[in-house]
Amino acid sequence: METLYQILSPDFLLRNSIYTSVLVGFACPLVGVFFIVRRLVFMGVALPQISSTGVAVALSLPLWLGVKLTEHSSHSTHTLAFVGSITFSLTAILVLAFLERRGRGQPEGRLGTAYVVAAAMSIVLLAKNPYGEIGWLDMLKGEVITISDFDLGLTAAMLALVIAVLGLFHKELLLVSFDREMATILRKNVMFWDVLLYVLIGLTVSMAVLSVGPLISFGFLLIPALTAHLVARNMHQFSVLASVIGGVAALFGFCIAYRWDLPVGPTDVVLLGALYATVWIVARLIPGRS
Amino acid sequence: MNEALITLDNLSIGYNNQPVLSGISLSIARASFTAILGSNGSGKSTLLKTMLGLLPPVAGRIATTAAGAPLVFGYVPQSIQFDPVYLLTGFDVALMGVYGRIGPGRIVPPVERDFTRECLLAAGADGFARKRFAELSGGQKQRVLIARALTTRPDVLVLDEPTAGVDREATKAVLEFIAQICTEQKITVLLVTHDFASARHYAEQVIWLHEGKVIFGPSAELLTVERMAEMFELGVA
Repeated sequence: METLYQILSPDFLLRNSIYTSVLVGFACPLVGVFFIVRRLVFMGVALPQISSTGVAVALSLPLWLGVKLTEHSSHSTHTLAFVGSITFSLTAILVLAFLERRGRGQPEGRLGTAYVVAAAMSIVLLAKNPYGEIGWLDMLKGEVITISDFDLGLTAAMLALVIAVLGLFHKELLLVSFDREMATILRKNVMFWDVLLYVLIGLTVSMAVLSVGPLISFGFLLIPALTAHLVARNMHQFSVLASVIGGVAALFGFCIAYRWDLPVGPTDVVLLGALYATVWIVARLIPGRS
Repeated sequence: MNEALITLDNLSIGYNNQPVLSGISLSIARASFTAILGSNGSGKSTLLKTMLGLLPPVAGRIATTAAGAPLVFGYVPQSIQFDPVYLLTGFDVALMGVYGRIGPGRIVPPVERDFTRECLLAAGADGFARKRFAELSGGQKQRVLIARALTTRPDVLVLDEPTAGVDREATKAVLEFIAQICTEQKITVLLVTHDFASARHYAEQVIWLHEGKVIFGPSAELLTVERMAEMFELGVA
């Protein structure tokens, strides 16, 4: 409890890190709900990794163009990383979704290949980049330590936009996900709503990857939503519960990591995994829940 | 016979510009009950999806007669196509029918929620509307989907094998209900089915897809023992 009071204090040195973790924890599961109901779990694995490759490519651009970066150009570095991340995320999700809709080939094979190639490419690019030591590898690993006010503001603004759009158009996004034929018959523009959902997913994944890294993004996208699905009774409960689980796990994960000097992101994911296992077991012990 | 509501004019249907059936010309009367019959792969679903606007015609045209606005189709798909991962109640599913009248980003007004409850009641689905849709029986799901089709305030009720996977008693109840709303609410009904006996009992006219041919006419004339034996090349004593 003392640790909780300490990290929630306005004078806490890492306050931006805790705020960012909790924001990502609340926002990612709201998008994760659509990964679960649209059966896009594998895409939830591949997309953060592809997004992080976008970061690596963007951060390698100055090197390739002969522009020298300093430790003080953090705003432009972050903006560059964001552009790389969002470009790769959106391109990947639109291409993968298009191929999925055509229904040809093996979607799992495509996603698996995209994941492993993206992971390898990130490592190769950063290994040959002399600026890789200036915190970029930490960013890709999910070390939520040095978050500036600018980064926090950008993350908060983007995630607030995603949550607002998801809330405003929830019924349209749910309809096109549940029954595309019905949506078409009701003269809804299915393509538009699909693209909007993919843009929201791309934005969320990009912000999450920049803040907490690909592994932790994947954890926050899927585990809270999977946990909430075990106990929720309707779609509204499903979204709210997933978001609360993600946000609370981010807060307590930070507490645990701070108290025992552990890496924050991986601690969050382990905590989420333990919670998922516990809820899964408890749900099976309750009659009529298995 | 009432005025023609839907007219198919030399229509060819198929996928990727490859026709499955060609030269379909017929008219469906307002407030009539029409069955679309045929074996698996005969083109029933392709015809239905083309009429609903889900597939573009390969050639020809579909003309509709509606006062000012486009025809509203209330579609009842096969209930097995829905993924049980969605945590939707029967009411949630039925409510989707009203979304066509509500603009993006607007909440569903109470009057539409009340109308959805009325449709669930009319379809005999009010007793289980609060249960999760995925946990309902085949017959119960069909009733919810019929309620959803009714909430669209349809000109045409289109049912794609609504009794597939449903027991005999529930099948009879569902078809009786459809025939009743066709008569009482003057809604045109298009029913896709394998079941010749049900088609003969409930439908006034039949679109029969058989070995690449499209036969259209009154069910009382087409679905006689002699005509069916002739179609299936069976000897009748």
